[in-house]
Amino acid sequence: MHSALVSFYRTVVRHKLHTALDIGGLALGIAVFLTLALYVRFETSFERWLPHHEQIYVVGTEVHLPGSVINGVYPATMGGLLEQMQAAFPGLTGTRMRGGTGGGVVRDGVTTKEDVTQVDASFFDVFALPMVAGQGAGALRDPAAVLISRAVAARYFGHDDPIGQTLTIALDAPVRYHVAGVFEDIPANSDLKAGLLIPMPSLPPPGEWAWNKWGTASLTTYLRFPTPAAAAAFAAKLPPFVDARARPDVGPGASKWLSLPLMPLRDVHLHPVGAESASRRMMVAVLGAIGLMTLAIAVFNHVNLATARGILRAREVALRKVTGATRATLIRQFVGEAVLMVGLAALVGLALAEVGLPFVNAAAGTSLTVPYGWALPLLVLLTGVVGFLAGFYPAIVQSTYPAAAALSAAPAPAGGRGKRRLREALIVLQFTLAIIFAIGTLVMMLEVAHLRGSDLGFQRRGLITVASLADKGLAPDQVRSVVSAIRRLPGVNSIGLATAGPGGDGSSIADAIETPGQANGGPILQLVSVGPGFFDTYGARLLAGRVFDGRHPGDDSSNWKRWNAGRMIVLSRQAAQTLGFATPGDAIGRTVGYPRPRTIVGVIEDMRFLSTHQPDGGSYYIFYPDQPPQPVAAVRFRGDPRAMLDRIASVWRREAPQVPFRGDTVDARIASLYEVDTRAMRLFTIGAMLALMIACIGLYGLAAFDTARRVREIGIRKTLGASTTEMLRMLVGQFLRPVVVATVLAWPIAFYAMRQWLAAFADRIALSPLYFLGAGAAALVIAAATVLAQSWRVARAEPARALRYE
Amino acid sequence: MIQLQDVSRTYASDEVETTALGGIDLHVEGGEFVAIMGPSGCGKSTLLNILGTIDRPSGGRYVFEGEDIARAPEAELAKLRRDRLGFVFQSFNLIDELTIAENVALGLAYRSMPAREKKDRIAAAMDRVGIAHRQRHHPHQLSGGQQQRAAIARAIVGEPRLILADEPTGNLDTANGAQVMEILQQLNAEGATIVMVTHSPAHADIAKRTVHMLDGRILASARLAA
Repeated sequence: MHSALVSFYRTVVRHKLHTALDIGGLALGIAVFLTLALYVRFETSFERWLPHHEQIYVVGTEVHLPGSVINGVYPATMGGLLEQMQAAFPGLTGTRMRGGTGGGVVRDGVTTKEDVTQVDASFFDVFALPMVAGQGAGALRDPAAVLISRAVAARYFGHDDPIGQTLTIALDAPVRYHVAGVFEDIPANSDLKAGLLIPMPSLPPPGEWAWNKWGTASLTTYLRFPTPAAAAAFAAKLPPFVDARARPDVGPGASKWLSLPLMPLRDVHLHPVGAESASRRMMVAVLGAIGLMTLAIAVFNHVNLATARGILRAREVALRKVTGATRATLIRQFVGEAVLMVGLAALVGLALAEVGLPFVNAAAGTSLTVPYGWALPLLVLLTGVVGFLAGFYPAIVQSTYPAAAALSAAPAPAGGRGKRRLREALIVLQFTLAIIFAIGTLVMMLEVAHLRGSDLGFQRRGLITVASLADKGLAPDQVRSVVSAIRRLPGVNSIGLATAGPGGDGSSIADAIETPGQANGGPILQLVSVGPGFFDTYGARLLAGRVFDGRHPGDDSSNWKRWNAGRMIVLSRQAAQTLGFATPGDAIGRTVGYPRPRTIVGVIEDMRFLSTHQPDGGSYYIFYPDQPPQPVAAVRFRGDPRAMLDRIASVWRREAPQVPFRGDTVDARIASLYEVDTRAMRLFTIGAMLALMIACIGLYGLAAFDTARRVREIGIRKTLGASTTEMLRMLVGQFLRPVVVATVLAWPIAFYAMRQWLAAFADRIALSPLYFLGAGAAALVIAAATVLAQSWRVARAEPARALRYE
Repeated sequence: MIQLQDVSRTYASDEVETTALGGIDLHVEGGEFVAIMGPSGCGKSTLLNILGTIDRPSGGRYVFEGEDIARAPEAELAKLRRDRLGFVFQSFNLIDELTIAENVALGLAYRSMPAREKKDRIAAAMDRVGIAHRQRHHPHQLSGGQQQRAAIARAIVGEPRLILADEPTGNLDTANGAQVMEILQQLNAEGATIVMVTHSPAHADIAKRTVHMLDGRILASARLAA
């Protein structure tokens, strides 16, 4: 065993470059695997930290009107649902959470944004959050009590004891609370947002006019059941419950249109409702697969290099056999060496992962760390399994190679055509994967760039939106004074108000254009209420007719009591199409909807405020000559956006200190819509680069051994009259052959995968053949550069020297 | 045909300079069969390699068919080897991954001629040395004598004017050695110039002239009466 270790050490030292490539490549693979495993572990661990998380369910609201754009499952319910459920099913355990990311803490007249959440007194029956200090369960029966997280306690009270202190908290309106307890911070792997928990009022909060209106969704309702069977039994009782209770709002047979699905809490993160559902799961699955494949590639390379290195050690093995080593001893030696090698690589990989994590975190917007209690056993297991796999094949090859042949004067065993084929096949496999990643990265980059640069139907540059203007805590007069103060700022050109803003700000109201005779009431459009200057400020493009203005008194729709008498509306191009008009011009002057008629005065180009993951069903606009309710302000300005944002924020703090300021450039709001895609692209880029790097290490290794083995052959060929150029062409050509094969294999796979990915976007680029050719060409150039130096060295060797080479 | 004037070859390592050849003058006429003899390490193979342009002299002139090629560019030498030289080695130097036919074909691999003609010449060369029946085998499946005959086929397939043989019988038993010598003798009779390094006085006798070497120098050149 001792001499086996010595000879392993010598082989390693003698072939420094090969060993460095071998361990480096494997370590890189392990680091990538580890990092992505951490990511997958993080994404799949959501809410699992909660005690009895498996018993908690989220009540959804599912709308299924045939052919409607508002169909789907929403992860929220109407405000009063839990009370109604508990009235109908006594003994039901549940709680509601309202707020989450809204609200703030008011200190010295200034509001700091905090995650303020209203919860029921029964909150701790469902969410058994660990307490750090004070009271948990029971405290929320006191309507003036607040529970705060450890981080919030530290932020507001430092080292002082927070229990009994007071805080002014604004969710609907500022109210003073006394701190009753401190709970442990909610970990990063949670979608629950709770920094401050305040009691749910016994009456619906002001402004929640739809608290008990069926079909609305304003807060999250959670239920807890001891067993899945109990949950299923309860779910079975819900349709009759909906039929009985929703009848006044939805009509007879309400459960046909509206249902209340129970979604297990632990599944909600990976099965979110809405358009991004599939893409989040796909991203986790794809990144997990990339991690496994990268590890597989690295292991293949290691086997490849180990087998090739074995050739160089044929003589040593033969001598060991001659001196009496058995096959079992030799296999033990090889496997032992491989385990040692993989162990070393695992340690380097762990170090690489630690060094690389900050970069990955920055790229992906995560905060992953390596938990050693989890990582070390995993690495030990990996070392054992991979070491065995990587050692066993070369061991078998080596130990069965006849000793006499290895010792004879004949040149070192060539490895034969079969083994060369295998090594080439492994290179093909990894270049196939690398090229798939490369094409994927390219397509993702171009798609994200396309989305960022695509025409939104308005001028996105030089535009800032103020979303906090829509806060319910602002009175209409306050909105008016904030708006006029912003309007007076130097550099502001115009300001326009509307109930919706880019990036999902404001509110989204789906409204049916009632059309007698049509299924479920008629086509559903988004209703946006706009104030004066809205279209001008955004730079909307008029296609036909006119937009609203103060000279047409009939444009005024601000009194909803008069809506039955008719309204003037402006349509988006898509809305005109949805309503069945052949051209925008055809729509002008026509009246749609009954009994609340709407007359079309203009059609504008679609203004896309939301992600193109969602199809745009069309919008219609109505006019409030004064200002629409709870509006988002859009500010058209000139000059530096940051300075302008600062000026608006300081106006805000002066005029509306009780509401935290929320405002940003439209560019940033639009970019935030594609954050998930941008992160996926960045991770893919890192992945593609690493995959290509590992594949090149593999190719370099193959070339290193192949050229070393073929020095004599090159000598013979040159003796027979081959020129250096011819030899170089032959070697590089042979090394590139697997890359060419890989390119051809990668194309259809990448095409299929990227078509699937692109299908999630309503606005997408076409898959040009150029991307595929480009990625293939890039792989070939990189591969050629990888093997060129070695091939050149061998190709230009003097034949006499080459023939002496042994 | 060949004129060497004051040819030397030195190898420089880190500390010492070794002289493999010093002041060699050699003249070989077209159609000659020259044997080079001498103890191991006397520079025979180095001389042969220089004659074959697969090694370069450190000094002196090498005139091949009227042209000084001692400092010719590598590409020109490759062309010379391709068109006018044939090599036979002690260790055969066949490529293990290729079949015998493919190995023989290497002798024409870097020349452009119609595929048909190449095929005919390869077949003829293999026939000539009597290994046509083993053409689909790999070198390690053949005996040493058969391998050396394959190597000779590869050397002659290009119809070279000069054949350089480095101990062609060194790895062979007596019977196979005799067979190889017979082939060389026939080739010479048909007009090929042959320079051969050998340890065997019997095989040297088959040549028309023997050059004796010691410590990198030519001692004597004895010409056999024709």
